[in-house]
Amino acid sequence: MASLFKDPSKLSAYRDRRFTGSQEEFEHALQTSTTVYVGNMSFYTTEEQVYEIFSRAGEIKKIIMGLDKNTKTPCGFCFVLYYSREDSEDSCKYISGTILDDRPIRVDFDWGFQEGRQWGRGRSGGQVRDEYRTDYDPARGGYGKLVQRELEAQRQLVDYGGDSLGSFPPVITPQYGRRGGSHGHGGSYRRDYQRKRQRDDDLHGHETSKRTSDHESRRSSDYDSRPDKNPRFRESGDSDDDEEDGLKRRT
Amino acid sequence: MSSWKNLLLRIGDKSHEYGTSTDFKDHIETCFSALRRELEHSEKDILDFLVQCVEQLPHKIPLYGTLVGLMNLENEDFARKVVENTQTNLQDALDSGNCNRIRILMRFLTVLMCSKVLQSSCLVVAFETLLSSAATTVDEEKGNPSWQACADFYITCILSCLPWGGAELVEQVPEEIERVMVGVEAYLSIRRHASDRGLSFFEDDDEAKNGLGEKDFLEDLWSRIQDLSNNGWKLDSVPRPHLSFEAQLVSGKSHEFGPISCPEQLHSPSTLSGITHGKQKHEAELKYPQRIRRLNIFPASKAEDLQPIDRFVVEEYLLDVLFFFNGCRKECAAFMVGLPVPFRYEYLMAETIFSQLLLLPQPPFRPMYYTLVIIDLCKALPGAFPAVVAGAVRALFEKIADLDMECRTRLILWFSHHLSNFQFIWPWEEWAYVLDLPKWAPQRVFVQEVLEREVRLSYWDKVKQSVENAPGLEELLPPKGGPNFRFSVDGDTERTEQHALSADLSNMVKGRATAREIISWIEESVFPLHGLEVTLKVVLQTFLDIGSKSFTHLITVLERYGQVIAKICPDQDKQVMLIAEVGYYWKNNAQMAAIAIDRMMGYRLISNLAIVRWVFSAENIEQFHTSDHPWEVLRNTVSKTYNRISDLRKEISSLQNGIVPTEEAATKAKAELEAAEAKLTLVDGEPVLGENPVKLSRLKLRAEKAKEEEVSIRESLEAKEALLARALDENEALFLALYKNFSNVLTERLPDASRAGTLSELKSVRADSMSVDLEESSAMEVDNENERQQKSQSNGGRTSSDGYNIGEKEQWCLSTLGYVKAFSRQYASEIWLYIEKLDVEVLTENVHPLFRKAVYCGLRRTIN
Repeated sequence: MASLFKDPSKLSAYRDRRFTGSQEEFEHALQTSTTVYVGNMSFYTTEEQVYEIFSRAGEIKKIIMGLDKNTKTPCGFCFVLYYSREDSEDSCKYISGTILDDRPIRVDFDWGFQEGRQWGRGRSGGQVRDEYRTDYDPARGGYGKLVQRELEAQRQLVDYGGDSLGSFPPVITPQYGRRGGSHGHGGSYRRDYQRKRQRDDDLHGHETSKRTSDHESRRSSDYDSRPDKNPRFRESGDSDDDEEDGLKRRT
Repeated sequence: MSSWKNLLLRIGDKSHEYGTSTDFKDHIETCFSALRRELEHSEKDILDFLVQCVEQLPHKIPLYGTLVGLMNLENEDFARKVVENTQTNLQDALDSGNCNRIRILMRFLTVLMCSKVLQSSCLVVAFETLLSSAATTVDEEKGNPSWQACADFYITCILSCLPWGGAELVEQVPEEIERVMVGVEAYLSIRRHASDRGLSFFEDDDEAKNGLGEKDFLEDLWSRIQDLSNNGWKLDSVPRPHLSFEAQLVSGKSHEFGPISCPEQLHSPSTLSGITHGKQKHEAELKYPQRIRRLNIFPASKAEDLQPIDRFVVEEYLLDVLFFFNGCRKECAAFMVGLPVPFRYEYLMAETIFSQLLLLPQPPFRPMYYTLVIIDLCKALPGAFPAVVAGAVRALFEKIADLDMECRTRLILWFSHHLSNFQFIWPWEEWAYVLDLPKWAPQRVFVQEVLEREVRLSYWDKVKQSVENAPGLEELLPPKGGPNFRFSVDGDTERTEQHALSADLSNMVKGRATAREIISWIEESVFPLHGLEVTLKVVLQTFLDIGSKSFTHLITVLERYGQVIAKICPDQDKQVMLIAEVGYYWKNNAQMAAIAIDRMMGYRLISNLAIVRWVFSAENIEQFHTSDHPWEVLRNTVSKTYNRISDLRKEISSLQNGIVPTEEAATKAKAELEAAEAKLTLVDGEPVLGENPVKLSRLKLRAEKAKEEEVSIRESLEAKEALLARALDENEALFLALYKNFSNVLTERLPDASRAGTLSELKSVRADSMSVDLEESSAMEVDNENERQQKSQSNGGRTSSDGYNIGEKEQWCLSTLGYVKAFSRQYASEIWLYIEKLDVEVLTENVHPLFRKAVYCGLRRTIN
């Protein structure tokens, strides 16, 4: 609305380096896309939570959770595809910066989802930002991966005895995290495990943004020829230690 | 941005551009000296930017007006251009019906008059133009009274200017302004009192105050202006910086303002039929909507004690900031809290924002926008605003039983989202008493629905934890949400043949069977042996179970095996059975049930009519007054149908816009080709008809291509129009089905019209029947909640005095009627298209008066 304080043509400061076209093509894609990128999510946030909040900006067509390319578990981002441009604009305007699962999430226009973009691009499989973080962020797997590796190295030099992981104090105490004060890092996450989900990664139908064409797209695409990867689910009960997955994996 | 721009933008704000000074006079002087330096070489830029600031920061208009007044002393020509520019913009705005722009530019003109830039008589002429247009519109002979909304808007514009320049006008042109006031008064005497009962927030408004002299918006504004006039035009909310420069400004040249004209309304004969009048009135009210409806939720002792006119002005400021700073969070919050008034206004601000959030038929922006504004204001004013918001919630909660159904839904969505942004902290113990109310009591339903939405935004245990200070409320939490699979092999349930079939199907899916293979398996070994019901149950339950892990899993299974479902459920009857299976599978998770139904409609596996039928099935009807679940599904269905239509309309209109240029291109290419063909060229010395062959064939190609494009655009237009026609038919069928169902269930349950012809009679039905026949009413309520209620009533205490006295049946009727009104209102524009049919098929003479009233109210149709 107001043109005084905001340049409406500037949509996103982030330039995806994987975008193959020119700057103009990139901008055009941002101007017309009905996809938004959602960042700074908790690893434990589910598609249904995303659906509840994002559907308040308009009818949702698809949600694609960002996954760690090694563990195939959510790694803190997702794409939400709307049917209409106005709805995706509203979702950027009104949802960005609000809280989901105790975290301020970021919502930006995205140039459009393509197969492969759901995978984290960090060396360890998750998002790049989780490689170099130095803070302790329990909703995003604890310390950054680099710090985690350093801690591992130290641990090999010094014998802390007992539950060595517990003896590293968080660098930043989360303000209102889910960590129960006296629990170890893993124990209080039980519910998150049961909710943590994976999904098929190769079944995003082709992109159309017409509500009316759902039907046609169902009819026309050849589902039978798709490889059918069975979703791998983490069964409840077997996963209490998974939280420390990232920390323990290397021991 | 250059510094003069920043100075213009930030004038009047507490900002570093102006150092420590908060004095408007200093600001104006600083800004003026910067502008004076730039005026010579950036006149055009300054003019453009100034006009933008005026239009988007209207609360600063007095400062901008004074600035122009000072520039007028230096450079008359610049000021003249400002006036001319404003006139052009105003005329554009009038022609296009841009309400905000008209109102704001009129205010700017008023302020220019105060700063001696504009002749006061010219402003009066502009007022008179609006006045005479308004008077003509409401004249039955010459005008078209169904467009009163537009006329009212023009009068509102005139009156809205007076807080900014009433004193000056009375001083400079007393007779002329008196004439305008007399004209407004005359207008008020011929127009009709606008009773928008369908748009009031509270149901009791219409009954209690109907016809008892409750003022409509314009009458109310008029009385505020009269107060202002009686008070010597003094008010606190409008800064008057021009007074500090009066001595200089008087020497400025006052410019003239050319005539403006109001677009003529379609004149229509006074013999408009009821329906045509209704349709036109609806159209006019869409185009010239009332900006605000006052909520009045705070007791006078709490809210700021302001003069009525100051209240009006601050509302104007707030609404303008909300309008122009949509999408600019930081600025929006900063301007909301930093208005140029010398008093506090947190309560007024909260009331204004809530009045927008709940505005009927819809707010100017998505409700979520106001969620964001409230969050930001809570952060900007942490000491004051959260408590005011909590006060508003309590006030609304107290009156929730009378709150409009649509408003209740918006309030639930807002409140749950708001709390999710503030760690779910709320003093739930205050509301723990709702447990003692019957399960249909609106306050109890409200708490239950808020908790449900909180769980959806977060997770069950977290929400349970958040109600720790009122542990009983845990009872109102939704179930923990897992699936309810008929053929689950967990536990000791006996494994039946159907379990085996389900396991077979599940294995086929795991083994990547195609839809076709599954269909032939069903046709060969399931359907013939077990019949339709078992087949449907097994297939649906199994697919739902495979798709139960997440939204994406659901989509995947529907995309892959939708054909199988379509094969089993080709008609409405079977689709209703299908939806019932979804309801069974997800009975503990309303969100997933709603999503699954919505998706299935998206893939056209189920029709909207099948969904309506399911919503009106016995099981759902039973919860109309105790749960939002059936309504959520119904809302989704209607809105999805409507979205399809509006998408098609948009596509058609863009194709239509494209058709003229392609036509022109085709004609032009053809003409060029013909011209070239007609040309004589010398080839080998011989004159040959036609230009050189290379060029000719190129032209030919181009003409063909242009023609093809034209044809293809026409074809897709035709295709879209056919789709739209189909969608409109679907929509008509949907609304007819919806109203028929509503009418049926209400007729079955509403007490006879002789006993309950109005809502207040309906509400008191139970009180009467209780005194007559106590046994019957206690037999009707056997559940725990009621025993508890009765117990606590005998114990005395809070619930006994506040206890909810409306019986279950009556509440069912009240809630359902509320939804009838809400649906009618939300889709009024579509429903008006089918009104004749609706009258014949549903709204017949013997329809219950309360049902008719709910529909008419929602459509804002007058009952004669």
